[in-house]
Amino acid sequence: MVRLPAWLGALDRKLLRDIWRLRSQAFAIALVIAAGIGMVVMSFGMIRSLEATRDAYYDRYRFADIFASARRFSESLVNDVQSLDGVSIAEGRLTSNGTLDIPGIAEPITTRIHSLPRVGGMPRVNALVLRSGRLPNPVRPDEVLASEKFADAARIGLGDTIEVLLYGKKQRLRVVGTALSPEYVYAIGPGQIFPDNRRFGVLWMGEEHLAAALNSSNAYNEVLIRLEHGAVAPEVVRRVDNLLERYGGRGAAPRSDQISDRFLENELSQLGQMTAILPPIFLGVAAFLINMVLSRLVESEREIIGLLTAFGYRNRAIMWHYAKLALVLSLPGLVLGLILGSWMGRGLAGLYQEFFVFPFLTYRAGSDVFLISCLITITVVLIGAAQTVRRIGRLKAAEAMRPPVPPNYSGGIARLIGKIRKLDEPTRIILRGLVRRPLRSMLGSFGVAAALGLYVASAGSMDNVGMMTDLLFHQANRADISVSFAEPRDERVLFELERLPGVMRVEPVCYIAATLSAGHRSRSESLTGMKRDSDLNRLVDIDDGLVQPPVKGLMLSTILAKQLAVAPGDRVEVNITEGRRPHLTLPVRSILKSPVGNPAYVDFASLGPLMRETPLASGAYLSVDPDQADALYRKLKAMPIIAGFSQRAAALNGIDETVGETMGIVTLFNTAFSALIVFGVVYNNARISLAERARDLVSLRVLGYQRSEVSYILLGELALIVIASLPLGALFGYYLSQYLASSMSGDLFVMPFALSTATIAFAILLVLMTAAVSSLFVSSRLNRLDLVSVLKTRE
Amino acid sequence: MAGPALSRSPQDESLYIIRGLTKVYGEGPTAVHALRGIDLELPRSAMVVLLGASGSGKSTFLNIVGGLDEATDGEVFFEGQELTAFGPAELTEYRRNSVSFVFQFYNLVASLTARENVSLITEIADDPMTPEEALALVGLEKRIDHFPSQLSGGEQQRVAIARAIAKRPKVMFCDEPTGALDSQTGVIVLDALDQVNRELGTTTLLITHNVVIADMADRLLRFADGELVEDRDNPHRVAPSELRW
Repeated sequence: MVRLPAWLGALDRKLLRDIWRLRSQAFAIALVIAAGIGMVVMSFGMIRSLEATRDAYYDRYRFADIFASARRFSESLVNDVQSLDGVSIAEGRLTSNGTLDIPGIAEPITTRIHSLPRVGGMPRVNALVLRSGRLPNPVRPDEVLASEKFADAARIGLGDTIEVLLYGKKQRLRVVGTALSPEYVYAIGPGQIFPDNRRFGVLWMGEEHLAAALNSSNAYNEVLIRLEHGAVAPEVVRRVDNLLERYGGRGAAPRSDQISDRFLENELSQLGQMTAILPPIFLGVAAFLINMVLSRLVESEREIIGLLTAFGYRNRAIMWHYAKLALVLSLPGLVLGLILGSWMGRGLAGLYQEFFVFPFLTYRAGSDVFLISCLITITVVLIGAAQTVRRIGRLKAAEAMRPPVPPNYSGGIARLIGKIRKLDEPTRIILRGLVRRPLRSMLGSFGVAAALGLYVASAGSMDNVGMMTDLLFHQANRADISVSFAEPRDERVLFELERLPGVMRVEPVCYIAATLSAGHRSRSESLTGMKRDSDLNRLVDIDDGLVQPPVKGLMLSTILAKQLAVAPGDRVEVNITEGRRPHLTLPVRSILKSPVGNPAYVDFASLGPLMRETPLASGAYLSVDPDQADALYRKLKAMPIIAGFSQRAAALNGIDETVGETMGIVTLFNTAFSALIVFGVVYNNARISLAERARDLVSLRVLGYQRSEVSYILLGELALIVIASLPLGALFGYYLSQYLASSMSGDLFVMPFALSTATIAFAILLVLMTAAVSSLFVSSRLNRLDLVSVLKTRE
Repeated sequence: MAGPALSRSPQDESLYIIRGLTKVYGEGPTAVHALRGIDLELPRSAMVVLLGASGSGKSTFLNIVGGLDEATDGEVFFEGQELTAFGPAELTEYRRNSVSFVFQFYNLVASLTARENVSLITEIADDPMTPEEALALVGLEKRIDHFPSQLSGGEQQRVAIARAIAKRPKVMFCDEPTGALDSQTGVIVLDALDQVNRELGTTTLLITHNVVIADMADRLLRFADGELVEDRDNPHRVAPSELRW
């Protein structure tokens, strides 16, 4: 026996020895608490770290508060914007899309090029973090900066030359440095939802040289605005819109509409929602386990409690003794959870850097997160212990010291079980055991069901993402390649594309910048013109499958319809912000539950009359003979009109690599956690059943029952609890998964709910296997019970 | 049942033959000698009372002969089979088919009624009585559907006896069956045991602290310090109802 220090009081010595005796159950509880607290620390800490990093990054590198773009405007307009009330800095720049030809990569790569100011070279708004090399020399027209992740992924080193096709002209550029920008924390190319650093990169080059390349000297097409403290953003947006109207303005947008910031914000809110759902499940189970263990302990220590009372211990002291026991019992779980959470937090920060690029991202939980975790643990423990501790307070000394009478089983249901003649007695013991403590049996089932549901929900999110990928890349987008044009072109360009090697089919698509408004609500959104009966790019509704764009009028995504508060039949004001800039009023014909983005669709054929010009295509979908792909890429790289390029297979690959991997890790964690809960609940249930039934079971062994027959009684009860939990857990998992899917859906995408039966079946298998393993543990203890000593002792 | 068998000879009419039975707990200087070489033969159908102070070895003896514990040395033969050579599975079979136990604290399953507690045994026995018969033998035919919580201590012990006899065992081991009961109730329980012994011919080994109970036995074995210090027959067996303590 461990020697305890002399200053420790008798009750505290008892406490420590009790814990030692209960160590295996304490271990199971610790694991469940650790899982819950670990998640709290990980996600709270992660939210904190992300927010702090984002705020510092945005602030230090002066991330724009408002973004505005137009076809072309002069320096003096930037000065007009600068002089608006509330504007702190206004900076003009040129931005263009292009394609890159990089040695060793067959397909063209989409790039976005921003200008760097003539003076100083470093933007005052959206300042860059120079990661390597230097800023381009203003007198060298060919020098550029490349975004760091892209340079890494495409293996572009400092001094390397890349060929860019910009505004119809091929240019050779030399990379002299790599940089990060607060504008590209989440860097996605046109039409992407996940970053693919190999196929989308950002370049920065000197203003004069970019202007020359774009035939746009002394002009800008974007203005970035930093606001003064307390400035009213919507008001500034309105004024900027007015100023840019004449210059082909495409609508100014506040930071909250900027794509990178939106994704980051979306991630933070998802993380917050996960934190609100998952840890409470773990901690609820932990409270239940503590309740179980403690109430069993108190039951078996009635005489000791009576004795203590008889010796003059106050009720309060005895109650505190057991409450303290529960607290000490949870301590290892808390410590383990803090360590585990910090470790997982660091791991998660690493994962985040796959998607979100910060100059620095250190996971730091902070002492307040630790403090909150401690408070949560204490609360959970006290909730778990409350009922039992209160019962101690009511126990009278004399009553406690009286030998326990046999528990009363003569209730109605127990009698009913007696009426079923076909049952054998061991089965009767199992059933009466269950109905005598219905609450405990039910809670046991709930505990296992929670674990099952947790697994279903987390593995189910893989199903959902799988469905999302299927919707996007198999049902909607079936084109092998999609290209976007440097500027809108009439349909002749399609014939040109059709004649390229390996091209089997070409379909046009048209994006038109527009502001849609209904009443006082308004959104800047592009209108997408789609051909009816299109084969390569189809409209897919999450619930209804394939649909067609309406012949006349608009089809809005559910997200956009909600933002504008319109329904089919309502009319929407559409202000086209390009071409002849017509102002239209169009009826909403239908609503599309679309997985991604905020689209508003019109029939491609109706565009001409609407725009009052021949219909133009802004891009095209191509189906391609894979054998001739390389020849096609060579041609495309040389076509001035091509400003963007994406390959379906590559996009799918990218999703598998980044998203699949990340979700895989998260699912692995959740699987382990679910197994922990099942183990914790089943093992504790079994240990307590064993303790309560030891005498019965050993008596039966003495009376000639075989080990297997006795194990049947012990494990049969557990089996029933587990079996009852299966439908419950599957149902819980179903709804939890659905909830998680809807909580992941924001104004960026709608996560389809696609839980598969295979996932549920696997979850059930997992629970059964974990239950079987914990049963093995317990039945090995049963086999080790000493027949003689159990009989000699009164319970 | 496996195990080496003794060659059959007339003296094997004894149910148990015990040779040099020794049990030592622990090792070295702290070793406790619970039994120090007991030699004994026990005939069929006898009512045997085992007396002795705490730690005298009588319970250890009962546990080994009952197949609950292993001997350190010596041999126990039951109907010619060497019990001390049995493995755990064979001991389970032995307990299941040949012998029965009655405990000081009854050890009834609280979630089963009197009848069901007896069924627990009749379900696994080869040629049992019905639970009703067994309960009638101990005078509990009226309490058959009561749960242990609804029975007095004496009644619970009689259910335990009914449970023990229901499979028609050859031997019944009773460890302090009246230890937890007052004398009046104790007599009723002993009466039940006596009746079973007389009517069914069940060999009964009964451990007690109470010397008076020896008067209802055919034979008295007294243990002290791990040895058998007294072994005498009682030609004038008296009925339990005449016992007073």
